[in-house]
Amino acid sequence: MSEFTAITEEEFRRLCEFIYRRTGMVFTEAKRYYIERRLVERMSIAGSVSFASYFTRLRTDVDREIERLINAVTVNETYFYREDYQLRCMTNDLLADRLKHKARGETIRIWSVPCSTGEEPFSIAIWLLENWRLVDQYDIEIVGSDIDTTVMEKAHAGVFGKRALMRLTDDLVRRYFEPQGAEIWKIIEELRESVLFTPVNIVDPVETRQHGRFDIIFCRNVLIYFDDASRRVAAENLYENLMPGGFICLGHTESMSRISPLFSVRRFTDAIVYQKATGGPA
Amino acid sequence: MPLIRKSSTSPLPLLSGKDDVLRALFEGHAEERWAAARAAGGVAGGVKALGAALCLERDVRVREAILTSLTRMASPDAVEAVLPMMRAEIAAWRTGAIDALRAMQQAAWPYLPQLLADPDADVRLLACEIARTLPGEKATALLCGLIEGESEANVCASAIEVLAEVGTAEALPALERCAARFQGTRFLEFSIKVTGERIRSQTAGLA
Repeated sequence: MSEFTAITEEEFRRLCEFIYRRTGMVFTEAKRYYIERRLVERMSIAGSVSFASYFTRLRTDVDREIERLINAVTVNETYFYREDYQLRCMTNDLLADRLKHKARGETIRIWSVPCSTGEEPFSIAIWLLENWRLVDQYDIEIVGSDIDTTVMEKAHAGVFGKRALMRLTDDLVRRYFEPQGAEIWKIIEELRESVLFTPVNIVDPVETRQHGRFDIIFCRNVLIYFDDASRRVAAENLYENLMPGGFICLGHTESMSRISPLFSVRRFTDAIVYQKATGGPA
Repeated sequence: MPLIRKSSTSPLPLLSGKDDVLRALFEGHAEERWAAARAAGGVAGGVKALGAALCLERDVRVREAILTSLTRMASPDAVEAVLPMMRAEIAAWRTGAIDALRAMQQAAWPYLPQLLADPDADVRLLACEIARTLPGEKATALLCGLIEGESEANVCASAIEVLAEVGTAEALPALERCAARFQGTRFLEFSIKVTGERIRSQTAGLA
């Protein structure tokens, strides 16, 4: 570990408290070095000469500094098999749990929202095909949605660069992608056609309701950007979009417990996820 | 390949129509009340009905939907619909109310002085959280005004916890006087010490 220290222990605690209160993201001492590096970058760009002046800027959200800091401390880059422990949790535990509540032949529905340029919904598809032994016995519907129609056009095109594929083995790339030129691959047509892409604003209940109910929702690293009021609405919309007993997976630093009491926490071997009660209001 | 693509799905039902919404809010089963609570913000008379439902509703999830609808409106009427819940017997109801008021931010600020002067210590204690969303100088003035005359250590602790985030140097004399008044109350002395250090560090960093 470097001796690099940008802020005191007390300042680090203060920053983490603030981030948690505003976004629900949890950062412990183990992440201190990482957070400090991002903080120094932000302070430099913002022209803040001390933690105190930067914290004032952050608290008053000058020039959308909260969003800028969130962007700095979260990995905005999306790539295949990112946070694959949640995918493992899906095939090891979540699907088995869901099948207990489903009639034979009933479709399993999975929603990736926001889906950005498509890496997540296609990752879900590949992971299921590769790792779920019951994959041939059920119809599985995967929907990817985003508020940004530009990124969704890219998702639907299914064309990816080398960096997006960095976590996939050569064998997976060979079987699910077709080379399109120098370090460019296109997802095979059969897989591309298996994911439905739709526009959605998750704070708008009229739009979310159009998507029906899902068994599992992946909603990673988006609620952190909302204010408290919007976060509450989004959580309720997602709750409505889950089938009774359905699961929602958030980003690894996020906590639904702080946002809404609607969900119960489920701790599985590979991940902590949130579950809608099996009974009660939709 | 077992993965399928459907171009259409069954949208979830949407409750509409003022009469249907307001009737379902009070007379429906839990699922209908939940849907009505979510829809009531968009119908005439919705705020008043939501406020009345909030006083009666026992289902946690329906209560949450009522509070979220009121939070979205963030109007004086919506704030006034939530305020009675700060005196609720059930702690979770009080917590739900304060979360909603804090999320309403500017709409709730005008009510803060009267809440901080409320005869009920629990109301004063909870109200401190609303100050967290105020600009630092205003929050400092209001919270210092509270701790200068506050007799309940827990209320002071709540105010001081907020000052630790938002307080300005103007809070330091009030914090010292508070420490003197509550000498021997260990948790409060510690809280004041930490808050004082944070404010001094913040002030020095800005100098």
